[in-house]
Amino acid sequence: MNAIEVSIQPLEERMMKALFAALSLLVALSTPVLANTTIVFATDATWPPMEMVNDQKQVVGYSIEYMTAAGKEAGFTPVFKNTAWDGIFAGLDNKKYDAIVSSVSITEDRKKAMDFSEPYYTVRQALIVPKASTAKSLADLKGQKVGGQIGTTGYFAIKAAEGVEPKSYDEVGLAMEDLNVGRIAAVVCDDPVAANYALDKYKDTLKIAMVIETGEAEHYGVAVQKGNTKTLELINKGILAVKAKGLDKELMQKWMGQ
Amino acid sequence: MQEQEVAKIEVGDGAAIPTPDDRGLVSAWWIALIGAVALLVLLPVIKPDPYLNILRFVPDGILITFQVTVLSISLAIVIGLFTGLGRISSNRLINLVASLYVEVVRGIPLLVQLFYIYYALGRFVRVPDLVAAVIAMAFCYGAYMGEVFRAGIKSIDRGQTEAALSLGFNNRQTMAWVILPQAWRTILPPVGNEFIALLKDTSLVSILAVADILRRGREYASESFNYFETYTMIALIYLLITLVLSKLISIMEHRLSHYERR
Repeated sequence: MNAIEVSIQPLEERMMKALFAALSLLVALSTPVLANTTIVFATDATWPPMEMVNDQKQVVGYSIEYMTAAGKEAGFTPVFKNTAWDGIFAGLDNKKYDAIVSSVSITEDRKKAMDFSEPYYTVRQALIVPKASTAKSLADLKGQKVGGQIGTTGYFAIKAAEGVEPKSYDEVGLAMEDLNVGRIAAVVCDDPVAANYALDKYKDTLKIAMVIETGEAEHYGVAVQKGNTKTLELINKGILAVKAKGLDKELMQKWMGQ
Repeated sequence: MQEQEVAKIEVGDGAAIPTPDDRGLVSAWWIALIGAVALLVLLPVIKPDPYLNILRFVPDGILITFQVTVLSISLAIVIGLFTGLGRISSNRLINLVASLYVEVVRGIPLLVQLFYIYYALGRFVRVPDLVAAVIAMAFCYGAYMGEVFRAGIKSIDRGQTEAALSLGFNNRQTMAWVILPQAWRTILPPVGNEFIALLKDTSLVSILAVADILRRGREYASESFNYFETYTMIALIYLLITLVLSKLISIMEHRLSHYERR
């Protein structure tokens, strides 16, 4: 009896130690570093120059650098998670990440589902057409197909226009390609993105017909889960500090050249 | 004696086709059907917002899904017939071309084929989105269909060919008047199965911005943020369609085997 107990105890002890070590490792891995809070941002990196993937497969862009600067000011470490746009809000709802920084315009409908930070950029909707087109507004495109990215304010603008056939794409780039090969008559999206495509990538075939005046400009905000004030306060602190220091102007110069 | 042995080609990617003697599957079919119909009716009645709104939003998508499915399967059957004939052809060049087509198509995922035909070839050939979707689906399913045709033709006893040839039919006449009319009975059920498989796979064309059932659902969800409710309804609609279709195919199969028994 005695002999058995002696031989078992060290084994049990060792097992407990190993278990404890494994557990503490698990805890260490799963808890964020408390000294500097990590905020995981989801971003759909298909929206140049706001957020995109560069040739080194890194997520870069105006919003990315903006949030990195805000993190430095407010004391949080941003982690960017490339996420498909279609479902990006569902992921926030399911707590897959803490926030969305993906050129989300603050709208009344979206405010019902999530909370928004201070606005960090202002855009208008732009209409892109082929070089040869004479269309100056959505009203000129009655009976024709106009594309936009699914679930964006640009797509909602097309849907709201009378007589135009709306067509939704997973990515704005796919809509631009369809416009380029002539399957649709126009694309509507945020003006910095429109400029990136029409003045750079497709500068030989496409042009910006006009910037739609939807009454008021749209503001980009960082979206967080409803009631997540802790994260929101940190982000707001960062955004306000970036604005106060004029860092946003430098970033605009760098990414939009304006 | 020999007429009673009907060759069956098992292609299981469409749906579980209930046969009258398979009690387990038949009752599962009924439970699934009643459940799907009950949910599709009850949810909109209990909670019109958003369930009824979703049902109002997707019907034109159902039409597009059927349009793509019917057009694709028709084209795929034509392609499949020629591919099947090519695969058993004694002409080595024709045989090689048909086999190469089957190998290439089976080796590339349907999603990649869709992207390829729509966006990569779109630079050279400008076809409307629906046409591109149909061509891509038919191109892919034509290869599968070719295998079904090949197996169907091979299932006909060689004695039939020998008898026809000895009666003075040439090769083409033998195929058209003796072999194919008999092979149809073996081929039709798996074609029905492929039809269901294709209908389900048309959900992939939503990636090409074709406004099918899934695309309409995604549009609704992206605006309302009702992801759970929307995708529940989308799944139920697909389920109901495939359940009804699998029953129709089962009835057709039963009729064919009935004819065979006489």
